[in-house]
Amino acid sequence: MSMSLSGPAQPAPQRKRSFARIITNLWLLAALVAMTLAISQQRPQLLDPGNIATVLRSFSIMVIMVLGLTWVIASGKIDVSFMQVAALANMTCAALLQQGWGWGAAIAAAIALGLVVGLVNGGLVARMKLPPLIVTIATAGMCASAAAALGKGTVIRIADPGPLRGLLETTLFGAVPVIVLPVLGLCLLAWYAQERLAMGRYIYAMAQNEAAVVAVGVPVGRIVVLLFALSGASAALAGVLLAANLSSGQPTIGGAYLINGLTVVLLGGMMVHVGKPNILGSVTATLFLGVLFSGAALLGLPDYQRQIIQGALLLTGLAVATGAARMHAHRRKGN
Amino acid sequence: MGAPVLLASEVSKRFGPVKALDKVEFHLDPGEVHALLGINGAGKSTFIKILSGIVQKDSGTITVAGQEVHFRAPEDAIRAGIATVQQHPELVPDMTGYENIFLGRETHGRGMLGRVDQRGLIARAAALLQRFAVPIDLSRTVAQMSAVEREAVAILQALAADDIRVLILDEPTSTLTDVERDDLFRLMNILRDQGISMIYITHQLEEVFEIADSFSVFRGGRCVARMSIDDARAQGVSLATMMLGEAMGEVFPPKAAPGTAGEVILSVRGLSSGLDFADVQFDVRQGEILGVFGLVGSGCDELAKAIFGAQPAERGQILVNGEEVMPGSPRDALAAGIFLVPGDRRTEGLALTRTALFNIPLANLGRASGKGWVLRRRRIREDAQRMTAQVALHPPSLTIPASGYSGGNQQKIVLAKGLYAEADVYIFVEPTVGVDIGARAKIYALIRELAQSAAVIVMSSDCDEVHGIADRTLALHKGRQVEPAMGTFSRDQLLMGGIMGGAHP
Amino acid sequence: MSGRFILSRGAGRVVAFAAMVLALGAAFTLAEPRFLSNANLAGIARHMAANGLAALGLTFVVIVRRFDLSLAGVAAFTAMTMGAVIAAGLPLWVAVLVGLAVGVGLGLVSGLAISRFGMPDIVTTIGVGSICAGLAFLYTGGRSIFQNFFQSGITDLNDARLLGLGVSLWFLLGIYGLAWFVMHRTRTGAAFYATGENPVAAYYSGIPTRRYVTLAFVACAVCTVLAVLLILAESGNAETNKGANLMMPAYAGVFLGAAIMGGTSVLASFAGILLITMLLDGFALMGVPYYYSDGVVSLILLGGVVLFSDAARGWLAGLLVLLPAKAPATQGEKRG
Repeated sequence: MSMSLSGPAQPAPQRKRSFARIITNLWLLAALVAMTLAISQQRPQLLDPGNIATVLRSFSIMVIMVLGLTWVIASGKIDVSFMQVAALANMTCAALLQQGWGWGAAIAAAIALGLVVGLVNGGLVARMKLPPLIVTIATAGMCASAAAALGKGTVIRIADPGPLRGLLETTLFGAVPVIVLPVLGLCLLAWYAQERLAMGRYIYAMAQNEAAVVAVGVPVGRIVVLLFALSGASAALAGVLLAANLSSGQPTIGGAYLINGLTVVLLGGMMVHVGKPNILGSVTATLFLGVLFSGAALLGLPDYQRQIIQGALLLTGLAVATGAARMHAHRRKGN
Repeated sequence: MGAPVLLASEVSKRFGPVKALDKVEFHLDPGEVHALLGINGAGKSTFIKILSGIVQKDSGTITVAGQEVHFRAPEDAIRAGIATVQQHPELVPDMTGYENIFLGRETHGRGMLGRVDQRGLIARAAALLQRFAVPIDLSRTVAQMSAVEREAVAILQALAADDIRVLILDEPTSTLTDVERDDLFRLMNILRDQGISMIYITHQLEEVFEIADSFSVFRGGRCVARMSIDDARAQGVSLATMMLGEAMGEVFPPKAAPGTAGEVILSVRGLSSGLDFADVQFDVRQGEILGVFGLVGSGCDELAKAIFGAQPAERGQILVNGEEVMPGSPRDALAAGIFLVPGDRRTEGLALTRTALFNIPLANLGRASGKGWVLRRRRIREDAQRMTAQVALHPPSLTIPASGYSGGNQQKIVLAKGLYAEADVYIFVEPTVGVDIGARAKIYALIRELAQSAAVIVMSSDCDEVHGIADRTLALHKGRQVEPAMGTFSRDQLLMGGIMGGAHP
Repeated sequence: MSGRFILSRGAGRVVAFAAMVLALGAAFTLAEPRFLSNANLAGIARHMAANGLAALGLTFVVIVRRFDLSLAGVAAFTAMTMGAVIAAGLPLWVAVLVGLAVGVGLGLVSGLAISRFGMPDIVTTIGVGSICAGLAFLYTGGRSIFQNFFQSGITDLNDARLLGLGVSLWFLLGIYGLAWFVMHRTRTGAAFYATGENPVAAYYSGIPTRRYVTLAFVACAVCTVLAVLLILAESGNAETNKGANLMMPAYAGVFLGAAIMGGTSVLASFAGILLITMLLDGFALMGVPYYYSDGVVSLILLGGVVLFSDAARGWLAGLLVLLPAKAPATQGEKRG
């Protein structure tokens, strides 16, 4: 009388699987290299040190913008307020500088504000059980409104370039802005937290079965609040960097970032851990999008065509991911 | 046996005007498997919730190993050594068995910012398996596991906390096949040998004699009896009678008199669908009930869905009243006069947040709108009222959301929906899963009533149910039909047919 | 809850809504007497027509438990499309038909992607909306279109009056009436609601649920086109940012209405959008800068969903327990 709890052992095609894994892990990186080569064939200016510096500069800001967002989406929630939080932080920073505050205090205040918005989002989602889309649409509206109100609807100029400007402008080897280093450091830290700490594990478990995570006593509500707070804070930091980069506060700066941010996170979610937004994926996808846009500009495509390309890219990526998930589910059912 | 590991005395709980528990007396001895019995509403689930810290008692005392305890949250119960495995354990599909077992405990109490020690987890899992010798490969993801393996993971998860003395299992067998159930019972025996006491809730009364050492019966918020299995066997008591408080009549209605069946309504000819089932062939006549016995995985569920068009078959014919119909969707099937009472009524049968009035006309909106477009609202209300009365819905309200009813009454709403659909063929899949014994007889009577004017198929993994309700039976084994050699199956032949694939052992 | 003082839950909600309308109207009238002037009331009616149509479209999508964030993009693209057709000298009805056809097409794209291919609604509609926003620049590279607008007669939609009320208001009332009838009195409506409540159970009841999800997105796009038509009629030109201001009021109207009325429905959206439009117009009348309006609408939206959420109701019930010495009936106990 032997127990047969385990089903028949399935000899997994190990080698084939690991090869397939490399493909799924790194295809976006390969696509990035291929695209860079293809565009630089047509427009060698793409690889000019100056252009590389420009691409990396906006890359750094964009990565910071989506750092927190990546985890929010990975946990199965959504945050559409991040770009307006960035706009609000951007305007707050500029307005405070105009008031005569120092850069340090202005940065701290702007990031604190982003943190507060994130906490409100997270609190309403976790404690009041409200749908995250509705909550963040509403807070996005309020942030946009507040950002515009700070400058009475117009741009605020910043006279003093401040310390961040140096980080953005100074380059190593003429092509790598210094800001890239702390940004990548932050990404490594986030990657470590995501891969090695219990928190990272809970984020993905929540997306699959939140009830299971609640049942074992993990403070899921607190994690949700934390994720939204991180999203708010990182978006605010991006807004501050934008203020330094543009030497001004731009109330309508957020608009373009919504679709960029979501594209980056979802495109990135198709590599490394397929179907799961992750930090490494977001970083790669940000660079991919940055090169694509820079190349498109060099090739003379107008803004709106870039927007169409990006929308198409988002939908294609989404369709591929959905199709892959369906095939996966199908195979699983066949077992 | 020694002092009881768990002792409850005069425990009471009230929900508003409803007295859910009334001075319950209960005890559990070390290392025993104790079955907790009672119909829905008897108070056993409230009692379990108090023991696991989900609900707080109003009065009374509970002691664990001689120490009085007060549970304010589930963590308190676990700390006192009482772990609960819910009826549908929640696990994370993409995580491995051991990752699920230690979910929330990866970091030795250092919280969510602690580092996960993957190797440590594997070592802890190995230690757990050494203590409870469960033959299971925990390195696979839960998604790759069978139902009983998931149950085992959930049990190990409950036992992974320190010093668990009491394990509460809430209807663990409801989703398992017979074979898997035997595996679970072996697992329970292993735990018993390790000195774990178990409280075991089930609706399957025959299981009580198989696995339990003793049992308690709850009725009307009180614990009305506690007995050892040996005594119960010696005295020949009827568990059903104790649960209902009165002698239970015959559960199954009388069968149709031979030769009274009418015309053939549904014919299934050589129906096949991939690996699920092949060459299924049968007729059902008006006035009769055809029983199909098949274990989980036998293809029963898929066969029902194929006839109903929800999961179209690949080959074969389906004829209704002699006309070929090959439904490509439930819509086609309903148009052809086939109605399915699905096994999973909560997801497939009902809009749970809506009332009976909303649910009943859904499968026949043509009737609800008098073949037109505009709904005849008064007619719908009158019909719904009549049908809820016919199925004896309790309470007979059209304004309570379906989620507010017990399993048996939810099934009655689905039945009323079927009545409204006016089908010629009714297919029931697991008609009494999650239905307590008090409501079962009513459901069976309604099925028999439906068969007066229609052809009825009852598919179930409960052999006694199939044998008790049906006029004719057949078994499905690994997608293949097992026909009786002599016209009808005896109960044991049916059981063998479904488990072994042949009528003769 | 023991409802001795409450007539019925439905009646209580209608009373609450009426009280809110009266309070809001009174407050604005006190602050600015011109609020009750004919010109302002006509303005409210006009704005409500466009906002209300967008909100109605969203209502269908929310009933099948999805979201549509392509509203602004679809509005921009169809506005420029209709503008281009009018500028080409074709009659108004052709422009409207072309606009509606484009709307149906876009609704089909989103709807089919979501219902047939199972793509996630939020991101899909954001993508579609983004492409549409880009496509809006195709015709003129972003310049305003105004040629032939006056001659085409489109502005009559804005100016003409019937029985003392603007045509656009009649338009709105007519379409809401039709929608109410379809959603709450016909089998189509029952199928829509069944699809939203439990798509699997609806499918097993013979309802083609995917078709209804697709239909909801098509209806949403069509309503958006109609809203855009009214906006073009009011402004007399087509610009790429037309309809950028449709989305927030639509979301706020639908969810505020659902919160007040206890569920998403055609009438709830009407109630919600009435309140939102009164607010927006009142603030505009008082000379509050434009950039506050989104913030106020957002605040109202958030306030509405928070106040009427289950959690808040639980807290309120908890407070009520403190007042009378009577225990509340516990919800969720199994009956039977």
